[in-house]
Amino acid sequence: MSDSAHPFQLDQYILHHVMDSHEWHLPFMPVIHLPSFLSLHALMVIICAVMLLVLFCVIYRKNDRVPTGVTNLLETFVQFIRDEIAVPSLGEEDGVKLTPLFCTFFFFILGLNLLGQIPVFATATANIGVTAPLALIVFALMTGGAIRKNGLMGFVKAFVPSGVPWPVLLLIIPLEILGVFIKTFALMVRLFANMLAGHMVIFALLGLVVLFGVWALPAVILAVGISLLEVLVVFLQAYIFVLLSAVFIGQMYHPEH
Amino acid sequence: MQPIEIAHLGRVLVGIGFGLCAVGAGIGVGQIVAAALNGIARQPEQAGKIQTVMFIGAALVEGVALLCAVFCFLALQS
Repeated sequence: MSDSAHPFQLDQYILHHVMDSHEWHLPFMPVIHLPSFLSLHALMVIICAVMLLVLFCVIYRKNDRVPTGVTNLLETFVQFIRDEIAVPSLGEEDGVKLTPLFCTFFFFILGLNLLGQIPVFATATANIGVTAPLALIVFALMTGGAIRKNGLMGFVKAFVPSGVPWPVLLLIIPLEILGVFIKTFALMVRLFANMLAGHMVIFALLGLVVLFGVWALPAVILAVGISLLEVLVVFLQAYIFVLLSAVFIGQMYHPEH
Repeated sequence: MQPIEIAHLGRVLVGIGFGLCAVGAGIGVGQIVAAALNGIARQPEQAGKIQTVMFIGAALVEGVALLCAVFCFLALQS
């Protein structure tokens, strides 16, 4: 554990566990050194992708008349995303067309978050290099997709609300343009900060055990409680990401001004 | 009279900033959920729509608070 040559530092302990590295610590096994092109969080992303492929291509039985078991569970989620998230924000045809994207977001983020709760794996969504591409996809849809749907003039007109005197327009148009960037940025930071903060709290509490020994037993109980709360946060953050991206894309696709 | 010296004044103020962002998040989300509860109490059949709007509002407010937390953390590092 710690000795005079390597004194225990709490901040190093926390940072080492939540940040990306090239080593994978498995229990009761020697440390696995990852090659330079594959970092720990990238390995988590690959594991989650393989898991999702197995879940949806192998375990999901497409040919049953009546879905049962895992098939039923997956269909419930997908139907919820299509009917409660995509179609109300985007309308009938766009909602159904973009539902695969939102399902991908939801199951990918949920899978990565849940993998991070298991002590052997690491949380890849606590890395801003993982949430940034997700937000960039939403940004590409909000701008490029809206331009393709409404035309360039329609896209520019979306920033100009109707029936507004022109001095107020001078204020509103930059704010709306800035709003697109801020919404994407907030989407990225919300998921990243929620996951990172949850894990930092848990590791801070567990690091107290090394510092104080058996007197830190209440800290372990608190860490268990916060881990349970974090399962709720995991589901909520995945749902919120998909819900907000649907709302933002819907705002750009159908400007209601 | 001697001027008072506080060691690491910058860090103390960043800590206060951290606490303020938590206060903002708590008050904001509390107001939103209170309004949602009022709405559901008045019209229980609209509970689904009200819940959806509550989640969207809470996520936006929490996003601002988390943004502030991230910036405070960065300020603490440098």
